[in-house]
Amino acid sequence: MTFLERTTDVRRLRHWDVDMSLDYIYTSGIAGERFFRALRDEGRILGVRCPACKVNYLPPRMFCEGCFTELTDSFDVSPEGKVVSFTVAHVDRRSHPLPQPEVYAFVTFRGIDRGGLIHRLFVPPDRAKIGMAVRVRLRPKEQRTGTILDIEGFEPSASQD
Amino acid sequence: MTARIPKFPGKELSSEEFYGNKVTQVRSRPDARYAFSAGEAMSRFLEELQNGRLIARTCHGCKRILFPPRMFCEECFRPTDDWTYIRDTGTIETYSVSYLDQDAKRITEPILVGVVSVDGASPKMGMMHYFGEMTKDQIHIGMRVKAAWKSPEERKGSVLDIRYFRPLREGEA
Repeated sequence: MTFLERTTDVRRLRHWDVDMSLDYIYTSGIAGERFFRALRDEGRILGVRCPACKVNYLPPRMFCEGCFTELTDSFDVSPEGKVVSFTVAHVDRRSHPLPQPEVYAFVTFRGIDRGGLIHRLFVPPDRAKIGMAVRVRLRPKEQRTGTILDIEGFEPSASQD
Repeated sequence: MTARIPKFPGKELSSEEFYGNKVTQVRSRPDARYAFSAGEAMSRFLEELQNGRLIARTCHGCKRILFPPRMFCEECFRPTDDWTYIRDTGTIETYSVSYLDQDAKRITEPILVGVVSVDGASPKMGMMHYFGEMTKDQIHIGMRVKAAWKSPEERKGSVLDIRYFRPLREGEA
């Protein structure tokens, strides 16, 4: 068969359109459930303490990474934290340009040895600084659904800690 | 669960907890759309389905009539040679009585699916499809069937332009 016998009109070539219906339901797990319920219902941020290693984790987990002790001893974390690292996003999750660049920060909290929270930081990009004191801003209670978005983000705080 | 482990550790969630939003959860649906090209042979096959016909490719090497059509002979390792129309009647090669639908959901009225060897193509050349106008007790291997086409306006160049294969009637060829 010669080349010219082949389809040369691209309009005659066909294709299949596929839309994969992939629905995810990702549950928080036992430790995550405690964390998100406290956040949603009471606006509290929970950490968890390992009694053997004296290490405090945020967010809470089921087992200590160091000694595999089951962790049940949760405590309230102060909503005042410190920026450890940040990034400035110019595109959203689908790579569409954002109207304004947004800052995302990793924040640690007093008394926490391992972990922290990553969230929006409500400052202009040129004002974001490593080490700056920030405070958790919660969504109003009636809007909370038991996900990390119950925290709106971080805002600068006057606290010197 | 296994013979040695009667229950795995951890907490099982009931459907009520899972779907009734009783436990905190994140739901997401990725936008996983794509298109894939049908290629040379399949494009023509789909175009002819829209015209209400079945088309095959012949190979001058092994003298077979290949259906569904393909541009390369897997026996002779050479390009196939000509297009040829085949009939829309055939013989049931194998079938299943399925109590699961396309999404693997349980259904009470079974659907009949299977492979039809199409008349005019080489032996055992055929296509998978639904069977209709017959019951699960009537269907059998070797049954003579004919394509039940959608109307020309409904056809859009898809294997579903044939609704199903139905029993060949008296006097039909």
